[in-house]
Amino acid sequence: MDSSVHLDNVVMQFGDFTAIQKTDLTIKSGEFFSFLGPSGCGKTTILNMISGFLDPSQGNIKIGGQSMRGIPANKRPTSMIFQNLALFPLMTVAENIEFGLEVRGVSKVERKKISDRLLELVALEGSGTKQVSELSGGQKQRIAIARALAVEPQVLLLDEPLSALDLKLRQHMRTELKEIQRKTGITFIYITHDQGEALTMSDRVAVMSAGNIQQVADPIALYRDPKTAFVASFVGENNSVRGKVIEAHADRIVLECGPLGALAGRPQGSLALGDEARLFIRPEHFRLQAEEGMHTLQAVIDEVNFEGAYLTLNANTPAQQALSIQLATHQFSESLQKGAPVSLSYNEQDAVVIAGGDHV
Amino acid sequence: MFSQLKARFGLGLTVGILGLIAIWLIALVILPQLLMVDYSFRPNLLPADIGGSKDVYSLVNYETLFNNKIHLAIFFKTIWSSVLVTLLTLLVSYPIAFYLAKVATARQAALCLLLLIIPFWINEILRTFSWYIILAYKGPLNALLLGLGFIDRPIRFLSGDGGVMIGMVYAYILFMIFPIYNAIESLDTNQIKAARNLGAGWIRTHYRIIIPHAKPGIATGCIMTFMLAAGSYAVPALLGSPGSRWFTQIIYNWFFEGGNWNQGAAYAFLLLVMCIGFIALVMRVFKVGLGDIAK
Repeated sequence: MDSSVHLDNVVMQFGDFTAIQKTDLTIKSGEFFSFLGPSGCGKTTILNMISGFLDPSQGNIKIGGQSMRGIPANKRPTSMIFQNLALFPLMTVAENIEFGLEVRGVSKVERKKISDRLLELVALEGSGTKQVSELSGGQKQRIAIARALAVEPQVLLLDEPLSALDLKLRQHMRTELKEIQRKTGITFIYITHDQGEALTMSDRVAVMSAGNIQQVADPIALYRDPKTAFVASFVGENNSVRGKVIEAHADRIVLECGPLGALAGRPQGSLALGDEARLFIRPEHFRLQAEEGMHTLQAVIDEVNFEGAYLTLNANTPAQQALSIQLATHQFSESLQKGAPVSLSYNEQDAVVIAGGDHV
Repeated sequence: MFSQLKARFGLGLTVGILGLIAIWLIALVILPQLLMVDYSFRPNLLPADIGGSKDVYSLVNYETLFNNKIHLAIFFKTIWSSVLVTLLTLLVSYPIAFYLAKVATARQAALCLLLLIIPFWINEILRTFSWYIILAYKGPLNALLLGLGFIDRPIRFLSGDGGVMIGMVYAYILFMIFPIYNAIESLDTNQIKAARNLGAGWIRTHYRIIIPHAKPGIATGCIMTFMLAAGSYAVPALLGSPGSRWFTQIIYNWFFEGGNWNQGAAYAFLLLVMCIGFIALVMRVFKVGLGDIAK
């Protein structure tokens, strides 16, 4: 069954405020797709438009190729897991799961069968007669998933459903969600501001900022090849250095970075001589020993933090550029301490250059 | 509680305030009620006979109601009509309360509440009397309906119980709207969205999610409206016809026209007992506890 979701040139405005800029995006059938962005970037608005709680001001939403214009929320083939779960507190666990089936006129016997099967899927067999208030956070979470799956949606919408859970449980639920998605083959659309969640679970991620989709890519491409300065600094940690383009090739850009000298990296998008640009180097790409073809920056260590498997250094260049560096713990030596000079090298294939000099 | 108040206000002020409250409660509320209970069990006697051999406790005053077919009919009609008034008020108030709590923007809700409250700055008698004018045989409502061609000749709204019911629904609407509004407002909007999302239409969403949540508020509103309706005097006196007498009017007559306070007190207590019993029964049927209402 085709359960793709197409945002066909969608715009959402609230009065004068444009919550979603013109967006054209296709989420493939059976994909685990995430919208990642800081709060207020419009990701929940997108979810509300897909589920039918909001109508786009312009454009159209299509699910499985069918236009959703004029189709109310209760007639759409979508199912939502709410941030606060929104389980019905006056109903038992089984009644919660069976609610969507009851609406569809499914017989009592059939309903019981389906809810038993779903309780098994979420590993809560025999909890059907419990009250919602008797469940723990993780159990409530799983009941919300079961309730949403009971109506056999084509698209499951998840609005930051893990944000209320503690770290261990959150990590466990990530695996579980991914597993459920694999078993059911339903399109999952996941909303989060937590990049760890987005990167570990998703097939593809759309990074959003201020109502704009900045980039849509699979997690590795997003991390390796950020297309905009926002993505480069929002997804993972990054060091950014300002400069002016002095050499432009298809696969290599050299920036004049003031006191730091000439630094090179891979270009993202088109850049011409004289353009203002930023070079992004991830903390883990710095080396203490320079090898053939590497670029080197001189800096003074400001702080050394031991984090277990790795060390993080904060350092300052002569140009007062703060850098953060991540090293494997075995690279630690006595010479790495506050106030000591350090030379930091990187491979230019590991750095990206993105147009625009303004900080984001 | 006493030590807390003492620490805060000092001994003198605390004793003074608590004393005043005690005097008010005992002397002005409890004692008069007890006096009326005492009255209701004693015969209506001339002043000279009070305390004499005829002044004995009996149930005669209570038996009077059950021996008077007309009074008994009015008694039950009052209860029944109060039920109807309560249901009508609920029917009108629930959509308004839902609109105020979940649909309207903050501005719209504020405006709407203001429009609902302003008429209640005016005395109940005057508000009721304005309905007397509106509903009159040659009044504006009949003129409007005639003008629009809905009716051929004026309707006598004020004969029978129709006018009384309209007047009461209007008089007690706020007592119904506010508890329901409070209850619905406390419902997480995501609950409504979740129900919609799972395929529920509006009727089912109300019936399965919103009304069960708002049940304590609905119960509170219904109890208040029912008690006010059953105990109302002004509305039936103004908007009623001779054929639509309310039991309160009969009680009034015993007191102030019959001069028989003992008989009136007995009637009043029968009404009170009947109302409380009826409410307890309805609360049991709808599985509402006293604790729910106190929330």
